[in-house]
Amino acid sequence: MSKLGQVVEAVEKYNRFVLDQVKRARSDQKFGRELINRWNETRAKTPVTHTPTGLPLPRLALPEIDEPGEIARYLFGEGLPGEFPFLNGAYREMYLEPVREIETGSYGKRASSSGPKEKESGDGARPPEEPTRLFSGLMLAEDTNERFHYLTQHQRTHRLSTAFDGPTLYGIDSDADGVFGKIGEGGVAIDTVEDMVRLYDGFDLGSPNFSASMTISGPAPIIMAMYIAAAKRRFGPKVVPKLRGTVQADIFKEVQAQNETIFPIEASLRFLTDMVEFTTREMPRWYPISISGYHIGEAGSTPVQQAAYTLSNGFAYAEMFAARGIPVDQFGPRLSFFLDCGLDAEYIALARVSRRIWAIGMRDAFDAGPRGQLFKLHTQTSGRSLIAAEFKNNLTRTAAELMLAYMNATNSCHSNSADEPFTTPSEEWIRLAAHGQAIILEESGIFKHTMNMLSGSPGMKAVERAVEAAVLAEFREIERLGGVLAAVEDRFQRSQIQNAAHRYEQQIYDGTRPIIGLNKYRNGEDDAPEIKLARTPRKKQQLQVDRLVKFKKNNAEKAKRALDKLVDAVERGENCFPALLEAAEVSSLGQITGRLQEVVGRFRPMV
Amino acid sequence: MASPIRILTAVPICDGHDSAINTINLEFIRHGVEVIYLGYHRSVGDIVRAAIQEDVRAIGISSYNGGHIEFFAEVVDLLRKRGASDIKVFGGGGGTITHDDAVTMRRKGVDQIFFAGTSLAEMTDYVRKNYDKPRKTQSRAKSWDLELAWKLTEIEDGLSKSKRSTSKKTIGNRQSAIRNAKVIGFTGPGGAGKTTLIDELVLRFLNQDPKGRIAILSHDPSVVGEGALLGDRATMINSQDDRVFMRSMATRGQAGGLSPATHDCLALLAQSNFDYVIIETVGTGQEAMPFRKNGIVDLTVLVMNPDYGSRLQLQKIVMLDLADIVVVNKSDLQRARTAHSEIEQRLEQNRRDQRLIDTVAKRHRDPGVDRLFDLIYGGEQSQRGKARNKS
Repeated sequence: MSKLGQVVEAVEKYNRFVLDQVKRARSDQKFGRELINRWNETRAKTPVTHTPTGLPLPRLALPEIDEPGEIARYLFGEGLPGEFPFLNGAYREMYLEPVREIETGSYGKRASSSGPKEKESGDGARPPEEPTRLFSGLMLAEDTNERFHYLTQHQRTHRLSTAFDGPTLYGIDSDADGVFGKIGEGGVAIDTVEDMVRLYDGFDLGSPNFSASMTISGPAPIIMAMYIAAAKRRFGPKVVPKLRGTVQADIFKEVQAQNETIFPIEASLRFLTDMVEFTTREMPRWYPISISGYHIGEAGSTPVQQAAYTLSNGFAYAEMFAARGIPVDQFGPRLSFFLDCGLDAEYIALARVSRRIWAIGMRDAFDAGPRGQLFKLHTQTSGRSLIAAEFKNNLTRTAAELMLAYMNATNSCHSNSADEPFTTPSEEWIRLAAHGQAIILEESGIFKHTMNMLSGSPGMKAVERAVEAAVLAEFREIERLGGVLAAVEDRFQRSQIQNAAHRYEQQIYDGTRPIIGLNKYRNGEDDAPEIKLARTPRKKQQLQVDRLVKFKKNNAEKAKRALDKLVDAVERGENCFPALLEAAEVSSLGQITGRLQEVVGRFRPMV
Repeated sequence: MASPIRILTAVPICDGHDSAINTINLEFIRHGVEVIYLGYHRSVGDIVRAAIQEDVRAIGISSYNGGHIEFFAEVVDLLRKRGASDIKVFGGGGGTITHDDAVTMRRKGVDQIFFAGTSLAEMTDYVRKNYDKPRKTQSRAKSWDLELAWKLTEIEDGLSKSKRSTSKKTIGNRQSAIRNAKVIGFTGPGGAGKTTLIDELVLRFLNQDPKGRIAILSHDPSVVGEGALLGDRATMINSQDDRVFMRSMATRGQAGGLSPATHDCLALLAQSNFDYVIIETVGTGQEAMPFRKNGIVDLTVLVMNPDYGSRLQLQKIVMLDLADIVVVNKSDLQRARTAHSEIEQRLEQNRRDQRLIDTVAKRHRDPGVDRLFDLIYGGEQSQRGKARNKS
């Protein structure tokens, strides 16, 4: 049995354990009393907050139960926020406004204005980071840099999320044949360490308030090496252990859904593991992989498939890293996840269920400690749900998806711009998208006063049960095929996703899936919206090519030596990331990709 | 009945958005179109080369990653340069291609752009209405591959029109014409990895012989309604090369893994100054060998999957008696060792000089594929090298 089979067993066993605890709480008086005491104590300790209208509310809302069996079901089955199995949240408090004045004492007692007051500032000395993380990348590095500064001008913390252009995603240089028109389209063009320096210019990469996210998988280890090289150029070698951020590096989902794989699967996984081994040792604050369901969802999977494939991919990576000898308590806390949030009913609890399955699986099948059990989640609203027809409706779609994402206690979130069906979002619509988050989190009282504000409705519980059962069924199917890698090579996930995508389109055509403005309440006129397109001017594209050619010319000798050394490391089978770091100083992305492909081959597409 | 419309579809370089084109391909073939699918992340050169070799009526490009104005225009320009401007270009990209872009693209020679919200029916209607006419006969083909492609089409359409079928014959009625290529036939069950194996052999051949030229005739089944998805090119990464001429054929109603026109097309290719001609059948079942011994096909390779079932199944596979080389591909699978020894035993009963080779075609630089290549290439190498040096 692979680890995935063990995970299925662990979840089933845990569910039986919860039922046993419920029974025991009802039959064993002592145990029942302990639970009731703990429950009452939790309530008593919950601070009280006041809304702007003066309404007192508890900082943590709990179900109104006082029967030991139900208390056991809640505490063991769901857990308080920040407690195993983390159904309600990875952390004790999220989204809550910093409390300037709070009253200790039990909620329910009349709040007294003369009561004891104390200052509190979240969990530690630092104020919590905003969950807003906006994905951006356009034209050349300096253009994206300017956009980054614009986006973060009002933020305490600078959390940048970087989109790369097509050539970069495929590990190709900007001067390669036939890619000229693609330079800087859909993301930023990065060819060399110099571009990487320009990209984050003006940001303090070693600061605890800065983190960079890079959405790239196929050439992720190379881009990671360039990021480190750029940081060293600007801040010296001592900055390396302080670097914070994440690189996507998710090979499985590329093969399953997104098609941006450049090396054969096994070689890709080896380069990934080399990088993870290096970063977990040298860069303790870095997340070297973001296990992503987003692209699986966007490629057309059902929500359940998205959760099931993402989680099973995650468990497969964990198995692989453990096999390399990286301790689970070293890599476990450095894994993070990325999910799509659309409008289907499953999304009411998809991330909640995922968090629970991950925690149980990591604890019971991988022996991970508490930090390695956390399913840390970045959510993006669904790009696929946005459509061109009457595109302003996309604001409403995104707002509804944001609500769902926050109901699932996502740790960070990106809200899509309404103009996304057309192009890289323009500033006007990005601003509205960012404000959507601020309106829900900061302006409205929905999430800022009380944890669990919208958790645990009977409907949500029903969705949780149905989704969990369906995800475990998918796990069993993958296990039957010989585990994740075997299933991937067998094209299992790919064909499942494609079938689901086909069904989805069919439902739109036959009207069983209403899309407002498209197949329902259509106004009949398809007026082309006036949207300013962020196209990269030819002059800029030429500039990128010129800079690259110059870089390659200046570094030709050094690059040759560094690349030979890299090839040696790959052929010898040792961890090649240190050699990659050296190569990244003097060679371009395309040069490195090309040499590596000579040694390990190219990815053969699956169709 | 007229021959099916042949079109080529592809997703541009640095673009992996294949969800839309997958759906559209299926719709096209359901409506009787033969679709040669080139896959995603494909360069202008790959697309134009394939379109010419396959002699399609039109190229459909699905682009979602920007740069479409340049990319489509480059395809049109290169077609013109290669003397193939009768191959039309159409495409779409959801909301990423604006109406203004489309105006520019049409001005640059693109036939049609489909916008977001276009129904599949509109697209298939458009293709059926606009690309169903045969190519206007032109005075002279501008290049050898264009000329060869046209001749292959004449053979294929001629047979399709007259309904003449060679289904009773197997390939091998040696033509009297001069031939100078070594012809290798690949057959075997679907999913055994024939296409990957051929692509890996092509890589070795191109590296070994810097001037060598190779032709591939690959087959996929026609579906009910006469359409076909000819998708071998999509997974072939090494065969997109100017020294490789590849033609994808639909079986057009013939059983046995080949097309009614296969025989004549193969004969033409064998005379067309290639060093090797590779023919790949549709994934076949247990029926007899589609290639007859001592015919046009010089060497037959049967590619087996280790998962053929019980030992008894082996007795039913007639091809095992006839193949010159039997390859057990995917020899990294658990079952492969058993498969190897069972097949070995089965071959010993034949008392012929048959070779058995284990390969993992998906693996880069697989030693098994190297051995297979040496076996195919080795004997011929010196002789052919000399012949070319003389000429």
